[in-house]
Amino acid sequence: MVPLTDAGMVSQAWRHDADAITLDLEDGVDAARKAEARGLVKKAIVPTAKSAAEVFVRVNKSFLQADLEAAVWPGVCGVMLPQVESAAEVLEAAEIVATLERQRGIVAGSLQFIPLLESARGVWDIRSIITASSRVTQVGLDESDLAGDLGINPLPDHDPFVYARGRLVIEAIAAKVNPIGMAYPLSLRSGVAPESEIHALATKARNLGMKGVICPHPGWVAPVNAAFTPTAELVAWNKRVREAFAAGVAAGTAAVPLDGRMIDVPVDEWAIVVIATAEACAARDAEKHAALNRQHKCTAQ
Amino acid sequence: MPVVTARFVDHAWRRGCDFVILDLEDSVPRHLKAYARGLIEDAIPNVSKGGAEAFTRINHDSVQADLEAVVWPGLAKVAYPKTEHAEEVRLLDTIITRLERERGIRPGTVEIGPNIETAVGVANVFEIAAASPRVREFGATTGGYDLSRDLGVEMFVDFDQFVYVKGESELAARTLGLRVRGAPFVANTTGSVSDPDRAFRQAEAARRCGFRVSGGGLNPATVDSQNLGYTPPDEDVCDAHWVLEQYQRLEATGEAWLEVESRVIDRYEAARARDTLEWAALCAERNREKAEAVARTTAAMAEQAPPQK
Repeated sequence: MVPLTDAGMVSQAWRHDADAITLDLEDGVDAARKAEARGLVKKAIVPTAKSAAEVFVRVNKSFLQADLEAAVWPGVCGVMLPQVESAAEVLEAAEIVATLERQRGIVAGSLQFIPLLESARGVWDIRSIITASSRVTQVGLDESDLAGDLGINPLPDHDPFVYARGRLVIEAIAAKVNPIGMAYPLSLRSGVAPESEIHALATKARNLGMKGVICPHPGWVAPVNAAFTPTAELVAWNKRVREAFAAGVAAGTAAVPLDGRMIDVPVDEWAIVVIATAEACAARDAEKHAALNRQHKCTAQ
Repeated sequence: MPVVTARFVDHAWRRGCDFVILDLEDSVPRHLKAYARGLIEDAIPNVSKGGAEAFTRINHDSVQADLEAVVWPGLAKVAYPKTEHAEEVRLLDTIITRLERERGIRPGTVEIGPNIETAVGVANVFEIAAASPRVREFGATTGGYDLSRDLGVEMFVDFDQFVYVKGESELAARTLGLRVRGAPFVANTTGSVSDPDRAFRQAEAARRCGFRVSGGGLNPATVDSQNLGYTPPDEDVCDAHWVLEQYQRLEATGEAWLEVESRVIDRYEAARARDTLEWAALCAERNREKAEAVARTTAAMAEQAPPQK
């Protein structure tokens, strides 16, 4: 997440190995500089994408029309819609974006939406919000704003959003939308943190069902990427699972003991997913590194 | 247990189980499904002869053929895996109703146990639990293997991944007045399915949270510890008697509450004590039932095959 008015951060964003970079028009930009920030989006897209990151733009709910006009250009993958509380808001944004896609030569329907839920109303109505448009591909919570909406000042030891995060994960996956988010307490506390803590909590987020993390600081990217990439050890275990399961089936049973665990159909299916995920991560890393190498060559010339 | 593994099925009646689930689904290899169906009718009386109820888990995608093969006298419940919609439960109900009629089973005997194992299933828990009067018990306690795969999470972590799932399921069950299956979080970071100590801690935690129905287990080594964990220990029974004695004293005074040995005695505490005693009595009765069944079966077997000299 990069504020558009911070020229230094925008120009350096491509260096951090993020899979996606969101150019922020909302909370990262002072109210007085919104118009200036809008004018910066179009020129920032190509430099931001040069390390193969997908580019998103976070717009302001109160300046939806102006911000979308500033954000929807070829090269932008989608927009992050904050403070969403109803399906009608998603549909309103979809209508504006459809017009802009037509006017600006962008494939119709290609722009994605990432709604952020920041209120009790949004969390409660998540199903209608995320199924309002096929543009919705990811959904997250903005936990600091949610705490504000609920009027709570959470203590680090007491996670106030177990239910909200649980609902996000279940409803999103049920609707084939990717839930994104971090585990508590870093889900609420943005900024600098020890790499080991980021890694541990991102791993926990993945094991809650989250498919990605919005990184508020470049220092988050490496540990988050590591947490979402299956380790070599995990891949090796899952290869053993596949072998043991295949041997069991050949011998007439699909419930196979392995190191005290029970291996059956869903465990074997999950092993297939883990191995495929590791391969997909490796391919994506190769893609990013190739892009990075091209940049370094250009810079050297 | 996979119904295709004869030694599991043949020994099941000796294990002290309250119920045995004969599996046609994920523990049975695809190429053995038809063969497995043919085994259920005989397996039902076989696994029940120690007093256990016989359940069957059918496959999600071959409902018709599976139900034809499993709905026989003696079957207590059909577990339906990966239930996602109320219509699935209604379809099961229709077919089971016909089979009960055709096969001389008292109408409404066979329960349906919808297993909630996907995000879509969780999103629809209330409609699923309400879909048929045959759903008499509901909750989310199955090991979580399918749900983990559906959510894309690793199992056997050191925190509760399913708070929301269990909460939504329990809320639906309680709202509808069904028996609740529940599982408070007890970490299992090794993934062991045969650890009797862990099984005891899990069962004890469930009992202390007020749950009385278990989702079962995957290994016979856990049966005794589960039975023990769900049964109120003697000290709880003694304590319940003591509370009721104090409550009788309280009633004589006409006061609403009484403090004895820094504990409050009131009608809520008395109700809880009565509950414990009732549950202890039910557990004892069930154990007697099972012991009698085992004794009958052992005697019948001895008669059929007198020991050789």
